[in-house]
Amino acid sequence: MSTYASPGAGPAVHDPMTLPADDNVNKYTFCVELKGGQWFLQKGKMIAYYGTIEFNGIGHGRLDRLVRTSFHSPLHASDWVVAGGSGKMLLADRAFDVNSYDLDDGNLTIRAGNLLAFQPSLALKQSIVPGFLTLIGTGKFVAASNGPVVFMEPPIRVDPQALVGWADCPSPCHHYDHGYMTGVLGGLRAMTGLGGVSGEEHQFEFVGAGTVLLQSTETLMAEGATGVVPPEPGVPGGGGTGPGGHGPQSSGTPRLPGQLGDLQRRFGL
Amino acid sequence: MFRLQGSKVLAVDMTGDAVKAKNGSMVAYDGQMTFKKLSGGGEGLRGMVTRRLTGEQMTVMEVKGHGTCWFADRASEINLVSLQGDKLYVEAGNLLATDAGLRTGTTFTGLRGASQGNGLFTTTVEGHGQAAIVSDGPAVVLRVGPQYPLIVDPGAYVAHQGNVRQSFQSGVTFRTLLGEGGGEAFQIRFEGDGLVYVQPSERNTIAGDL
Repeated sequence: MSTYASPGAGPAVHDPMTLPADDNVNKYTFCVELKGGQWFLQKGKMIAYYGTIEFNGIGHGRLDRLVRTSFHSPLHASDWVVAGGSGKMLLADRAFDVNSYDLDDGNLTIRAGNLLAFQPSLALKQSIVPGFLTLIGTGKFVAASNGPVVFMEPPIRVDPQALVGWADCPSPCHHYDHGYMTGVLGGLRAMTGLGGVSGEEHQFEFVGAGTVLLQSTETLMAEGATGVVPPEPGVPGGGGTGPGGHGPQSSGTPRLPGQLGDLQRRFGL
Repeated sequence: MFRLQGSKVLAVDMTGDAVKAKNGSMVAYDGQMTFKKLSGGGEGLRGMVTRRLTGEQMTVMEVKGHGTCWFADRASEINLVSLQGDKLYVEAGNLLATDAGLRTGTTFTGLRGASQGNGLFTTTVEGHGQAAIVSDGPAVVLRVGPQYPLIVDPGAYVAHQGNVRQSFQSGVTFRTLLGEGGGEAFQIRFEGDGLVYVQPSERNTIAGDL
């Protein structure tokens, strides 16, 4: 059929028949098969496709019904597109590892920058935790991570930079090693690094039943927009205070990671 | 003889023959080797002027000798391409090494190049032998056949070979201008018979945000 055979011991050559359906081509590339259906994907993550596939912004009139049922954060709609048609489409994200996950009548919360694409049978909602998105329902989604993803069972404390997401456990909270961090000496240690700071004094803690997803580096992927929340009191990230604001404490310079309080407060001033 | 050692290092075994490689890409060698910088891609005065004019500058060295020479480029993934008389089109920056017997040149690509931010010209490699191209992440090799054209994002395109026609397709509509575009405003369509190399990463292109 074709005169261009696979080049010897070279890489495998794919065509629409040999590309996998809804599976990874290699660690960094995922192939989605569309048969008249639709997929939501983040803008600019499609690298190639066979067949006839149309990409439409979420604001497209014909997609109104679909968006109403499976897309619940209208304010960052401009980052998402809907792919529809039939054919096979390759997704990739800056040569990061990509993997697909199946949700069966479940829920999963994931860092916004890591989510690449999902089936419309899932509903995408903003998480109450700023910077995260929650998927609810049954279906498949594709997420990228810096290095392979490992799955852990709670109870577990994880490094903030390694956290990709969590499923079914509704208890993400901060954990500080207070014994090490409090007092004037602890404050000096944390601020100057003198006397030994491990850099691991602050963690996220998960308890209860569920799964926690971690990436195998502490290099975060670029933040993805999650949209803004209504400016109501009581809404995290949306209240009267600025982003990351915690009332009267958050004034002046941004906090260093792991820093518990200012020196003045430690001295009782 | 080209072979991959891991996916990021190219080993070339030489018995008195020569290869052309990107300047400075040698990481190690054993045996006897000589390295000679070739001005203007080693295509003579005409090639040098053409490359200067088209912006497809290529600093190339000729490596000759007996032994094994290892090449690598910023830990990029390396893909081997064997050519049997057909033509490989690749950006100068993505070409790591070629057999000395392969001819290199420049060719006009039209709007595809412009949409990639790579300029209007590309490098061609022609003849019988092997070439090594680099990509950000391992390249996926996709076949284009008469029954199945392939559409590629300009930012992910690395190279193609064979008898392939390429055309530029644009999805720019009034929605793009409203900021509600499909995110894939510019695409390259490949038709005919050949292979296209696509990397799992997108370069920044002018169309990247549309």
